[in-house]
Amino acid sequence: MNKLNRAVAAAGRGAAWLLPPGRRDWVAAVWAEAHEVPPGLARLTWRAGGVWVLAREALMPRRLGRVVVFAAAAAAAAWAAWPDSSVLHADADQFGVIATVLLLAGMPLLTRRFFGPVSDSRSARFLRVGGYAAILALIPARAVVGPYPLNVPQRGAELRVFIADGNSTHGMPGTSAGGPPWPGEIFFLILTACYVVLILWLTSRRASAAPSTLAVGAGVGIVSGLVMYSVAPLGLTQYASNPWLPGSRVDPLVALAWILLLGGPAAAGALAAGWYCRRPGRSAELAQARIGQGLVAGVLANLVSALFVTALGTGLIALMIKVAWLRPLVYRDPHASQAAAYGHVLHASEHAGTYVLMCVTFPVIGLLMSAVGLACLMPVPRQSGPQPGDGGGGPPGPEPPHGPSGGRRPEAESDADRLLVPA
Amino acid sequence: MASQPEFSAQTLSVLAALCDEPSRWQHGYALAKQTGLKSGTLYPILIRLADRRLVEACWEEEPAPGRPRRHLYRLTAAGLARTTGALASAARPAPEPSGVRASARRAGARPAAGGRSAVAGVIP
Repeated sequence: MNKLNRAVAAAGRGAAWLLPPGRRDWVAAVWAEAHEVPPGLARLTWRAGGVWVLAREALMPRRLGRVVVFAAAAAAAAWAAWPDSSVLHADADQFGVIATVLLLAGMPLLTRRFFGPVSDSRSARFLRVGGYAAILALIPARAVVGPYPLNVPQRGAELRVFIADGNSTHGMPGTSAGGPPWPGEIFFLILTACYVVLILWLTSRRASAAPSTLAVGAGVGIVSGLVMYSVAPLGLTQYASNPWLPGSRVDPLVALAWILLLGGPAAAGALAAGWYCRRPGRSAELAQARIGQGLVAGVLANLVSALFVTALGTGLIALMIKVAWLRPLVYRDPHASQAAAYGHVLHASEHAGTYVLMCVTFPVIGLLMSAVGLACLMPVPRQSGPQPGDGGGGPPGPEPPHGPSGGRRPEAESDADRLLVPA
Repeated sequence: MASQPEFSAQTLSVLAALCDEPSRWQHGYALAKQTGLKSGTLYPILIRLADRRLVEACWEEEPAPGRPRRHLYRLTAAGLARTTGALASAARPAPEPSGVRASARRAGARPAAGGRSAVAGVIP
Protein backbone atom coordinates (compact mmCIF):
# COMPACT_ATOMS: atom_id res chain seq x y z
CA MET A 1 0.00 0.00 0.00
CA ASN A 2 2.86 2.34 0.86
CA LYS A 3 4.48 1.74 -2.52
CA LEU A 4 1.17 2.39 -4.24
CA ASN A 5 0.73 5.56 -2.20
CA ARG A 6 4.17 6.80 -3.15
CA ALA A 7 3.60 5.92 -6.81
CA VAL A 8 0.32 7.86 -6.88
CA ALA A 9 1.99 10.83 -5.17
CA ALA A 10 4.90 10.81 -7.63
CA ALA A 11 2.56 10.51 -10.63
CA GLY A 12 0.45 13.38 -9.33
CA ARG A 13 3.42 15.66 -8.73
CA GLY A 14 4.82 14.83 -12.18
CA ALA A 15 1.52 15.45 -13.92
CA ALA A 16 0.92 18.79 -12.19
CA TRP A 17 2.73 20.56 -15.06
CA LEU A 18 -0.34 19.82 -17.19
CA LEU A 19 -2.26 22.37 -15.18
CA PRO A 20 -2.29 26.08 -15.85
CA PRO A 21 -0.06 27.92 -13.34
CA GLY A 22 -3.02 29.18 -11.30
CA ARG A 23 -4.22 25.65 -10.64
CA ARG A 24 -0.96 23.96 -9.60
CA ASP A 25 -1.23 25.21 -6.03
CA TRP A 26 -4.47 23.33 -5.60
CA VAL A 27 -3.03 19.97 -6.54
CA ALA A 28 -0.01 20.70 -4.34
CA ALA A 29 -2.50 21.42 -1.54
CA VAL A 30 -4.09 17.98 -1.90
CA TRP A 31 -0.67 16.30 -1.80
CA ALA A 32 0.41 18.34 1.23
CA GLU A 33 -2.79 17.50 3.05
CA ALA A 34 -2.28 13.79 2.42
CA HIS A 35 0.26 13.76 5.26
CA GLU A 36 -2.57 14.48 7.70
CA VAL A 37 -4.70 11.60 6.46
CA PRO A 38 -4.18 8.27 8.26
CA PRO A 39 -1.85 6.05 6.24
CA GLY A 40 -3.23 3.16 4.24
CA LEU A 41 -6.42 3.07 2.24
CA ALA A 42 -7.67 6.43 3.52
CA ARG A 43 -4.52 8.20 2.35
CA LEU A 44 -4.63 6.39 -0.99
CA THR A 45 -8.25 7.44 -1.43
CA TRP A 46 -7.30 11.03 -0.59
CA ARG A 47 -4.54 11.00 -3.20
CA ALA A 48 -6.83 9.36 -5.75
CA GLY A 49 -9.12 12.34 -5.18
CA GLY A 50 -6.14 14.57 -5.93
CA VAL A 51 -5.58 12.74 -9.20
CA TRP A 52 -9.24 13.30 -9.99
CA VAL A 53 -8.89 17.02 -9.27
CA LEU A 54 -5.86 17.11 -11.55
CA ALA A 55 -7.66 15.26 -14.33
CA ARG A 56 -10.72 17.44 -13.93
CA GLU A 57 -8.77 20.67 -14.08
CA ALA A 58 -6.12 19.74 -16.64
CA LEU A 59 -7.76 17.25 -18.90
CA MET A 60 -11.22 18.65 -19.24
CA PRO A 61 -13.05 16.65 -21.91
CA ARG A 62 -12.94 19.45 -24.49
CA ARG A 63 -9.27 20.06 -23.99
CA LEU A 64 -8.46 16.38 -24.03
CA GLY A 65 -10.52 15.99 -27.21
CA ARG A 66 -8.59 18.78 -28.92
CA VAL A 67 -5.27 17.22 -27.90
CA VAL A 68 -6.33 13.80 -29.19
CA VAL A 69 -7.62 15.18 -32.50
CA PHE A 70 -4.44 17.21 -33.06
CA ALA A 71 -2.22 14.25 -32.14
CA ALA A 72 -4.11 11.97 -34.53
CA ALA A 73 -4.00 14.51 -37.38
CA ALA A 74 -0.31 15.25 -36.81
CA ALA A 75 0.52 11.55 -36.67
CA ALA A 76 -1.42 10.92 -39.90
CA ALA A 77 0.31 13.85 -41.65
CA ALA A 78 3.75 12.70 -40.48
CA TRP A 79 3.05 9.12 -41.49
CA ALA A 80 1.90 10.20 -44.97
CA ALA A 81 4.89 12.51 -45.40
CA TRP A 82 7.55 10.29 -43.88
CA PRO A 83 10.23 9.72 -46.55
CA ASP A 84 11.70 6.31 -47.19
CA SER A 85 15.26 6.17 -45.86
CA SER A 86 16.41 5.08 -49.34
CA VAL A 87 15.35 8.48 -50.74
CA LEU A 88 18.18 10.94 -51.27
CA HIS A 89 18.32 13.57 -48.50
CA ALA A 90 15.74 11.67 -46.46
CA ASP A 91 17.30 13.04 -43.29
CA ALA A 92 16.43 16.64 -44.24
CA ASP A 93 12.87 15.64 -45.14
CA GLN A 94 12.48 13.70 -41.90
CA PHE A 95 13.79 16.69 -39.99
CA GLY A 96 11.27 18.92 -41.77
CA VAL A 97 8.34 16.67 -40.85
CA ILE A 98 9.32 16.30 -37.20
CA ALA A 99 10.20 19.96 -36.77
CA THR A 100 6.91 21.12 -38.31
CA VAL A 101 4.84 18.87 -36.04
CA LEU A 102 6.83 19.96 -32.98
CA LEU A 103 6.42 23.58 -34.03
CA LEU A 104 2.65 23.21 -34.28
CA ALA A 105 2.44 21.42 -30.95
CA GLY A 106 4.91 23.57 -29.03
CA MET A 107 4.25 27.07 -30.29
CA PRO A 108 0.89 27.51 -28.49
CA LEU A 109 2.57 26.51 -25.22
CA LEU A 110 5.53 28.81 -25.81
CA THR A 111 3.48 31.82 -26.87
CA ARG A 112 0.68 31.44 -24.34
CA ARG A 113 2.72 33.36 -21.79
CA PHE A 114 2.93 36.36 -24.14
CA PHE A 115 -0.31 36.10 -26.12
CA GLY A 116 -2.64 34.65 -23.50
CA PRO A 117 -5.21 31.96 -24.31
CA VAL A 118 -7.29 31.80 -27.46
CA SER A 119 -9.88 34.52 -27.79
CA ASP A 120 -13.27 33.43 -26.59
CA SER A 121 -15.09 33.62 -29.92
CA ARG A 122 -16.09 31.11 -32.56
CA SER A 123 -14.30 32.97 -35.31
CA ALA A 124 -11.01 32.83 -33.37
CA ARG A 125 -11.34 29.10 -32.82
CA PHE A 126 -12.37 28.53 -36.42
CA LEU A 127 -9.32 30.44 -37.63
CA ARG A 128 -6.95 28.60 -35.35
CA VAL A 129 -8.32 25.19 -36.29
CA GLY A 130 -8.46 26.08 -39.99
CA GLY A 131 -4.91 27.43 -40.00
CA TYR A 132 -3.59 24.36 -38.24
CA ALA A 133 -5.51 22.05 -40.58
CA ALA A 134 -4.07 23.80 -43.64
CA ILE A 135 -0.50 23.60 -42.32
CA LEU A 136 -0.94 19.94 -41.37
CA ALA A 137 -2.33 19.17 -44.84
CA LEU A 138 0.67 20.88 -46.38
CA ILE A 139 3.14 18.52 -44.67
CA PRO A 140 2.36 15.42 -46.79
CA ALA A 141 1.53 17.49 -49.88
CA ARG A 142 4.91 19.19 -49.79
CA ALA A 143 6.66 15.89 -49.14
CA VAL A 144 5.17 14.54 -52.39
CA VAL A 145 5.54 17.66 -54.56
CA GLY A 146 8.97 18.86 -53.40
CA PRO A 147 11.17 15.98 -54.57
CA TYR A 148 9.17 15.22 -57.73
CA PRO A 149 10.96 17.59 -60.16
CA LEU A 150 14.30 16.35 -58.81
CA ASN A 151 13.75 12.66 -59.55
CA VAL A 152 15.23 11.70 -62.92
CA PRO A 153 12.80 9.25 -64.62
CA GLN A 154 14.03 5.85 -65.64
CA ARG A 155 11.80 5.32 -68.67
CA GLY A 156 12.66 6.59 -72.12
CA ALA A 157 9.72 8.88 -73.00
CA GLU A 158 9.54 10.45 -69.57
CA LEU A 159 13.29 10.81 -69.47
CA ARG A 160 13.16 12.67 -72.82
CA VAL A 161 10.50 15.03 -71.40
CA PHE A 162 12.62 15.54 -68.32
CA ILE A 163 15.67 16.42 -70.41
CA ALA A 164 13.64 18.56 -72.82
CA ASP A 165 12.34 20.49 -69.85
CA GLY A 166 15.81 21.83 -69.28
CA ASN A 167 17.06 19.23 -66.85
CA SER A 168 19.61 17.59 -69.14
CA THR A 169 22.57 18.29 -66.93
CA HIS A 170 21.09 16.80 -63.79
CA GLY A 171 21.79 13.35 -62.42
CA MET A 172 21.46 9.83 -63.71
CA PRO A 173 18.15 8.08 -64.58
CA GLY A 174 16.56 6.62 -61.49
CA THR A 175 18.31 9.00 -59.10
CA SER A 176 17.51 12.37 -57.58
CA ALA A 177 18.93 15.39 -59.33
CA GLY A 178 18.47 17.73 -56.40
CA GLY A 179 21.11 19.30 -54.24
CA PRO A 180 20.95 19.16 -50.47
CA PRO A 181 17.50 20.51 -49.51
CA TRP A 182 18.53 21.75 -46.05
CA PRO A 183 18.27 25.47 -46.88
CA GLY A 184 14.84 24.85 -48.37
CA GLU A 185 13.69 22.92 -45.32
CA ILE A 186 14.90 25.62 -42.96
CA PHE A 187 13.25 28.34 -45.05
CA PHE A 188 9.94 26.46 -44.98
CA LEU A 189 10.28 25.96 -41.27
CA ILE A 190 10.82 29.68 -40.67
CA LEU A 191 7.89 30.54 -42.94
CA THR A 192 5.67 28.02 -41.13
CA ALA A 193 6.77 29.42 -37.76
CA CYS A 194 5.87 32.94 -38.89
CA TYR A 195 2.42 31.78 -39.99
CA VAL A 196 1.80 29.84 -36.79
CA VAL A 197 2.87 32.77 -34.60
CA LEU A 198 0.74 35.18 -36.64
CA ILE A 199 -2.32 32.93 -36.42
CA LEU A 200 -1.82 32.40 -32.68
CA TRP A 201 -1.38 36.13 -32.09
CA LEU A 202 -4.35 37.27 -34.16
CA THR A 203 -6.63 34.76 -32.45
CA SER A 204 -5.32 35.39 -28.93
CA ARG A 205 -7.04 37.40 -26.23
CA ARG A 206 -4.19 39.84 -25.91
CA ALA A 207 -4.46 40.85 -29.57
CA SER A 208 -8.01 42.02 -28.74
CA ALA A 209 -9.22 41.37 -32.28
CA ALA A 210 -13.00 41.60 -32.18
CA PRO A 211 -14.96 38.56 -33.39
CA SER A 212 -16.39 40.67 -36.21
CA THR A 213 -12.86 41.63 -37.30
CA LEU A 214 -11.76 38.00 -37.43
CA ALA A 215 -14.94 37.00 -39.26
CA VAL A 216 -14.53 39.76 -41.87
CA GLY A 217 -10.83 38.96 -42.40
CA ALA A 218 -11.44 35.23 -42.69
CA GLY A 219 -14.48 35.67 -44.94
CA VAL A 220 -12.69 37.97 -47.39
CA GLY A 221 -9.67 35.66 -47.27
CA ILE A 222 -11.68 32.57 -48.15
CA VAL A 223 -13.45 34.28 -51.07
CA SER A 224 -10.15 35.68 -52.29
CA GLY A 225 -8.47 32.28 -51.83
CA LEU A 226 -11.15 30.54 -53.89
CA VAL A 227 -10.65 32.98 -56.78
CA MET A 228 -6.86 32.72 -56.53
CA TYR A 229 -7.12 28.95 -56.54
CA SER A 230 -9.24 29.06 -59.67
CA VAL A 231 -6.57 31.21 -61.29
CA ALA A 232 -3.60 29.20 -60.10
CA PRO A 233 -4.73 25.67 -59.27
CA LEU A 234 -1.32 24.31 -60.30
CA GLY A 235 0.98 27.17 -59.45
CA LEU A 236 1.20 29.51 -62.42
CA THR A 237 1.43 26.76 -65.01
CA GLN A 238 -0.85 27.20 -68.03
CA TYR A 239 -1.71 23.55 -68.48
CA ALA A 240 -4.89 23.19 -66.46
CA SER A 241 -7.69 23.16 -68.99
CA ASN A 242 -10.67 21.72 -67.17
CA PRO A 243 -13.48 24.27 -66.89
CA TRP A 244 -13.67 23.56 -63.19
CA LEU A 245 -10.02 24.48 -62.95
CA PRO A 246 -9.72 27.20 -65.54
CA GLY A 247 -6.08 28.01 -64.97
CA SER A 248 -4.68 31.44 -65.66
CA ARG A 249 -6.21 31.62 -69.12
CA VAL A 250 -9.54 33.00 -67.94
CA ASP A 251 -8.86 36.70 -68.01
CA PRO A 252 -11.89 38.04 -66.05
CA LEU A 253 -10.97 35.67 -63.24
CA VAL A 254 -7.39 36.94 -63.29
CA ALA A 255 -8.66 40.51 -63.11
CA LEU A 256 -10.93 39.57 -60.22
CA ALA A 257 -7.99 37.91 -58.45
CA TRP A 258 -5.94 41.10 -58.73
CA ILE A 259 -8.87 43.17 -57.49
CA LEU A 260 -9.30 40.88 -54.51
CA LEU A 261 -5.59 40.76 -53.76
CA LEU A 262 -5.34 44.53 -53.56
CA GLY A 263 -8.90 45.59 -52.78
CA GLY A 264 -9.87 42.70 -50.50
CA PRO A 265 -7.69 43.73 -47.56
CA ALA A 266 -8.60 47.38 -48.02
CA ALA A 267 -12.30 46.53 -47.95
CA ALA A 268 -11.85 44.11 -45.05
CA GLY A 269 -9.96 46.75 -43.10
CA ALA A 270 -12.59 49.40 -43.67
CA LEU A 271 -15.44 46.99 -42.85
CA ALA A 272 -13.79 45.74 -39.68
CA ALA A 273 -13.03 49.27 -38.53
CA GLY A 274 -16.61 50.31 -39.25
CA TRP A 275 -18.16 47.32 -37.50
CA TYR A 276 -15.90 47.62 -34.50
CA CYS A 277 -18.01 50.50 -33.37
CA ARG A 278 -20.88 51.59 -35.54
CA ARG A 279 -21.07 55.01 -34.01
CA PRO A 280 -18.49 57.49 -35.25
CA GLY A 281 -15.42 57.52 -33.05
CA ARG A 282 -15.12 60.52 -30.80
CA SER A 283 -11.92 59.79 -29.01
CA ALA A 284 -8.40 59.21 -30.21
CA GLU A 285 -8.27 55.88 -28.36
CA LEU A 286 -11.35 54.57 -30.12
CA ALA A 287 -10.02 55.72 -33.48
CA GLN A 288 -6.73 53.95 -32.79
CA ALA A 289 -8.55 50.79 -31.79
CA ARG A 290 -10.54 50.91 -35.03
CA ILE A 291 -7.36 51.34 -37.06
CA GLY A 292 -5.87 48.34 -35.25
CA GLN A 293 -8.93 46.25 -36.05
CA GLY A 294 -8.75 47.32 -39.70
CA LEU A 295 -5.10 46.36 -40.03
CA VAL A 296 -5.73 42.99 -38.38
CA ALA A 297 -8.59 42.29 -40.81
CA GLY A 298 -6.45 43.26 -43.81
CA VAL A 299 -3.50 41.09 -42.83
CA LEU A 300 -5.83 38.24 -41.97
CA ALA A 301 -7.64 38.44 -45.31
CA ASN A 302 -4.48 37.91 -47.33
CA LEU A 303 -2.97 35.46 -44.86
CA VAL A 304 -6.06 33.24 -45.07
CA SER A 305 -6.12 33.64 -48.83
CA ALA A 306 -2.45 32.60 -49.21
CA LEU A 307 -2.79 29.65 -46.86
CA PHE A 308 -6.02 28.51 -48.51
CA VAL A 309 -4.67 28.59 -52.05
CA THR A 310 -1.34 27.04 -51.04
CA ALA A 311 -2.96 24.12 -49.23
CA LEU A 312 -5.45 23.44 -52.02
CA GLY A 313 -2.99 23.94 -54.88
CA THR A 314 -0.14 21.92 -53.41
CA GLY A 315 -2.64 19.26 -52.37
CA LEU A 316 -4.00 18.98 -55.92
CA ILE A 317 -0.53 18.68 -57.42
CA ALA A 318 0.36 16.00 -54.86
CA LEU A 319 -2.82 14.13 -55.71
CA MET A 320 -2.01 14.31 -59.43
CA ILE A 321 1.40 12.80 -58.77
CA LYS A 322 -0.02 10.00 -56.65
CA VAL A 323 -3.38 9.37 -58.37
CA ALA A 324 -2.96 8.78 -62.10
CA TRP A 325 -6.70 8.85 -62.97
CA LEU A 326 -6.95 12.42 -61.69
CA ARG A 327 -4.69 13.81 -64.43
CA PRO A 328 -7.16 13.51 -67.34
CA LEU A 329 -9.81 15.19 -65.15
CA VAL A 330 -7.55 18.18 -64.61
CA TYR A 331 -6.26 18.40 -68.19
CA ARG A 332 -9.46 17.30 -69.94
CA ASP A 333 -7.51 15.09 -72.28
CA PRO A 334 -8.27 11.39 -71.74
CA HIS A 335 -6.09 10.43 -74.68
CA ALA A 336 -2.96 12.21 -73.49
CA SER A 337 0.10 10.03 -73.67
CA GLN A 338 1.94 8.92 -70.58
CA ALA A 339 4.81 11.24 -71.45
CA ALA A 340 2.46 14.24 -71.93
CA ALA A 341 0.81 13.56 -68.57
CA TYR A 342 4.23 13.30 -66.96
CA GLY A 343 5.20 16.62 -68.55
CA HIS A 344 2.09 18.30 -67.12
CA VAL A 345 2.73 16.98 -63.63
CA LEU A 346 6.41 17.89 -63.85
CA HIS A 347 5.48 21.45 -64.82
CA ALA A 348 2.91 21.69 -62.06
CA SER A 349 5.31 20.50 -59.38
CA GLU A 350 7.97 22.90 -60.64
CA HIS A 351 5.49 25.78 -60.43
CA ALA A 352 4.41 24.93 -56.91
CA GLY A 353 7.06 27.42 -55.78
CA THR A 354 4.59 30.15 -56.77
CA TYR A 355 2.68 29.37 -53.61
CA VAL A 356 5.71 30.09 -51.46
CA LEU A 357 5.92 33.50 -53.09
CA MET A 358 2.23 34.04 -52.32
CA CYS A 359 2.72 33.03 -48.69
CA VAL A 360 5.58 35.49 -48.28
CA THR A 361 4.08 38.49 -50.07
CA PHE A 362 0.32 38.29 -49.48
CA PRO A 363 0.25 39.20 -45.76
CA VAL A 364 2.56 42.16 -46.44
CA ILE A 365 0.31 43.32 -49.26
CA GLY A 366 -2.65 42.85 -46.92
CA LEU A 367 -1.07 45.09 -44.30
CA LEU A 368 -0.23 47.81 -46.80
CA MET A 369 -3.57 47.76 -48.59
CA SER A 370 -5.60 47.76 -45.39
CA ALA A 371 -3.57 50.79 -44.26
CA VAL A 372 -4.38 52.47 -47.57
CA GLY A 373 -8.06 51.55 -47.23
CA LEU A 374 -8.21 52.91 -43.71
CA ALA A 375 -6.44 56.10 -44.70
CA CYS A 376 -8.96 56.68 -47.49
CA LEU A 377 -12.14 55.72 -45.68
CA MET A 378 -11.61 56.53 -42.02
CA PRO A 379 -12.25 60.03 -40.77
CA VAL A 380 -9.30 61.82 -39.25
CA PRO A 381 -9.18 60.93 -35.53
CA ARG A 382 -10.56 63.73 -33.45
CA GLN A 383 -9.51 64.61 -29.96
CA SER A 384 -11.67 63.46 -27.07
CA GLY A 385 -14.37 65.70 -25.73
CA PRO A 386 -17.69 66.80 -27.14
CA GLN A 387 -17.65 67.82 -30.75
CA PRO A 388 -20.02 70.10 -32.57
CA GLY A 389 -22.86 68.14 -34.06
CA ASP A 390 -22.48 65.17 -31.76
CA GLY A 391 -25.76 65.83 -30.09
CA GLY A 392 -24.36 67.38 -26.96
CA GLY A 393 -22.27 64.57 -25.65
CA GLY A 394 -23.22 61.37 -23.95
CA PRO A 395 -21.05 58.33 -23.64
CA PRO A 396 -19.34 56.87 -26.69
CA GLY A 397 -20.91 53.88 -28.37
CA PRO A 398 -20.78 50.54 -26.65
CA GLU A 399 -17.47 48.70 -26.92
CA PRO A 400 -17.91 45.46 -28.76
CA PRO A 401 -17.19 42.34 -26.79
CA HIS A 402 -13.50 41.64 -26.69
CA GLY A 403 -10.80 41.05 -24.17
CA PRO A 404 -10.83 38.37 -21.50
CA SER A 405 -14.57 37.85 -21.43
CA GLY A 406 -14.85 37.93 -25.19
CA GLY A 407 -18.53 38.66 -25.06
CA ARG A 408 -19.49 35.62 -23.09
CA ARG A 409 -21.14 35.57 -19.74
CA PRO A 410 -18.91 36.64 -16.91
CA GLU A 411 -16.84 33.85 -15.38
CA ALA A 412 -18.71 34.19 -12.11
CA GLU A 413 -21.98 33.26 -13.78
CA SER A 414 -20.63 30.15 -15.41
CA ASP A 415 -19.03 29.20 -12.12
CA ALA A 416 -22.35 29.58 -10.44
CA ASP A 417 -23.69 26.93 -12.78
CA ARG A 418 -20.77 24.67 -12.07
CA LEU A 419 -21.29 25.02 -8.36
CA LEU A 420 -24.81 23.75 -8.77
CA VAL A 421 -23.67 20.52 -10.35
CA PRO A 422 -23.00 17.92 -7.71
CA ALA A 423 -19.35 16.89 -7.99
CA MET B 1 -41.40 29.57 -11.37
CA ALA B 2 -39.17 28.58 -8.49
CA SER B 3 -35.85 30.41 -8.42
CA GLN B 4 -32.72 28.36 -8.99
CA PRO B 5 -30.66 27.73 -5.84
CA GLU B 6 -27.38 29.57 -5.70
CA PHE B 7 -25.26 26.71 -4.42
CA SER B 8 -25.39 22.94 -4.55
CA ALA B 9 -25.83 21.01 -1.33
CA GLN B 10 -22.16 20.04 -1.21
CA THR B 11 -21.05 23.61 -1.82
CA LEU B 12 -23.37 24.81 0.88
CA SER B 13 -21.94 22.29 3.32
CA VAL B 14 -18.42 23.55 2.61
CA LEU B 15 -19.54 27.16 3.05
CA ALA B 16 -21.30 26.25 6.29
CA ALA B 17 -18.15 24.57 7.60
CA LEU B 18 -16.11 27.66 6.78
CA CYS B 19 -18.80 29.88 8.28
CA ASP B 20 -18.56 28.23 11.71
CA GLU B 21 -15.51 30.35 12.51
CA PRO B 22 -15.22 32.78 9.63
CA SER B 23 -12.00 34.41 10.76
CA ARG B 24 -10.11 31.16 11.30
CA TRP B 25 -8.03 29.62 8.51
CA GLN B 26 -8.99 25.98 7.96
CA HIS B 27 -7.23 23.25 6.06
CA GLY B 28 -8.61 20.82 3.54
CA TYR B 29 -8.59 17.65 5.61
CA ALA B 30 -10.47 19.33 8.46
CA LEU B 31 -13.08 20.56 5.99
CA ALA B 32 -13.31 17.09 4.46
CA LYS B 33 -13.93 15.54 7.88
CA GLN B 34 -16.45 18.19 8.79
CA THR B 35 -18.46 17.91 5.58
CA GLY B 36 -17.95 14.22 4.84
CA LEU B 37 -16.76 15.08 1.33
CA LYS B 38 -13.88 13.31 -0.36
CA SER B 39 -10.90 15.22 -1.69
CA GLY B 40 -12.03 14.76 -5.29
CA THR B 41 -15.28 16.58 -4.47
CA LEU B 42 -14.06 19.06 -1.88
CA TYR B 43 -11.20 20.63 -3.81
CA PRO B 44 -13.10 21.39 -7.04
CA ILE B 45 -15.67 23.17 -4.87
CA LEU B 46 -12.94 25.15 -3.10
CA ILE B 47 -11.38 26.02 -6.47
CA ARG B 48 -14.66 27.39 -7.84
CA LEU B 49 -15.36 29.30 -4.63
CA ALA B 50 -11.88 30.83 -4.75
CA ASP B 51 -12.38 31.72 -8.42
CA ARG B 52 -15.52 33.61 -7.41
CA ARG B 53 -13.62 35.28 -4.58
CA LEU B 54 -15.95 33.85 -1.97
CA VAL B 55 -13.06 31.97 -0.38
CA GLU B 56 -9.47 33.09 0.04
CA ALA B 57 -6.57 30.67 0.20
CA CYS B 58 -3.00 30.90 1.37
CA TRP B 59 -0.09 28.67 2.29
CA GLU B 60 0.79 28.05 5.91
CA GLU B 61 3.73 30.25 6.91
CA GLU B 62 5.28 28.10 9.64
CA PRO B 63 4.60 24.42 9.08
CA ALA B 64 5.07 21.92 11.87
CA PRO B 65 8.37 20.07 11.62
CA GLY B 66 8.26 16.91 9.54
CA ARG B 67 5.33 17.83 7.34
CA PRO B 68 4.89 20.04 4.30
CA ARG B 69 3.18 23.43 4.36
CA ARG B 70 -0.60 23.22 4.20
CA HIS B 71 -3.01 25.19 2.12
CA LEU B 72 -5.48 27.15 4.24
CA TYR B 73 -8.91 28.54 3.49
CA ARG B 74 -11.42 30.98 4.92
CA LEU B 75 -14.39 32.96 3.73
CA THR B 76 -13.94 36.44 2.32
CA ALA B 77 -16.28 39.22 3.40
CA ALA B 78 -18.32 38.68 0.25
CA GLY B 79 -18.29 34.94 0.85
CA LEU B 80 -19.52 35.39 4.40
CA ALA B 81 -22.39 37.59 3.26
CA ARG B 82 -23.41 35.19 0.50
CA THR B 83 -23.12 32.18 2.80
CA THR B 84 -25.27 33.78 5.46
CA GLY B 85 -27.91 34.58 2.88
CA ALA B 86 -27.76 31.14 1.31
CA LEU B 87 -28.00 29.38 4.67
CA ALA B 88 -30.92 31.56 5.67
CA SER B 89 -32.82 30.81 2.48
CA ALA B 90 -32.00 27.12 2.84
CA ALA B 91 -33.41 27.18 6.35
CA ARG B 92 -36.71 28.68 5.15
CA PRO B 93 -39.39 26.08 4.42
CA ALA B 94 -39.86 25.93 0.66
CA PRO B 95 -43.32 25.55 -0.87
CA GLU B 96 -41.98 23.37 -3.70
CA PRO B 97 -39.48 20.55 -3.40
CA SER B 98 -36.90 22.49 -5.35
CA GLY B 99 -33.81 24.57 -4.76
CA VAL B 100 -31.28 23.93 -2.10
CA ARG B 101 -33.72 22.00 0.02
CA ALA B 102 -34.43 19.62 -2.86
CA SER B 103 -30.73 19.30 -3.56
CA ALA B 104 -30.17 18.64 0.08
CA ARG B 105 -32.83 15.96 0.01
CA ARG B 106 -31.23 14.36 -2.99
CA ALA B 107 -27.84 14.50 -1.35
CA GLY B 108 -29.29 13.26 1.89
CA ALA B 109 -30.78 10.26 0.13
CA ARG B 110 -27.27 9.28 -0.84
CA PRO B 111 -25.11 9.71 2.22
CA ALA B 112 -21.53 10.79 1.80
CA ALA B 113 -18.53 8.93 3.18
CA GLY B 114 -19.04 7.68 6.68
CA GLY B 115 -22.77 7.54 6.23
CA ARG B 116 -23.09 11.25 6.96
CA SER B 117 -25.19 13.50 4.79
CA ALA B 118 -23.19 16.07 2.87
CA VAL B 119 -25.36 18.82 4.27
CA ALA B 120 -25.94 17.47 7.74
CA GLY B 121 -26.01 20.35 10.13
CA VAL B 122 -26.65 22.86 7.40
CA ILE B 123 -30.27 22.22 6.52
CA PRO B 124 -32.52 22.10 9.55
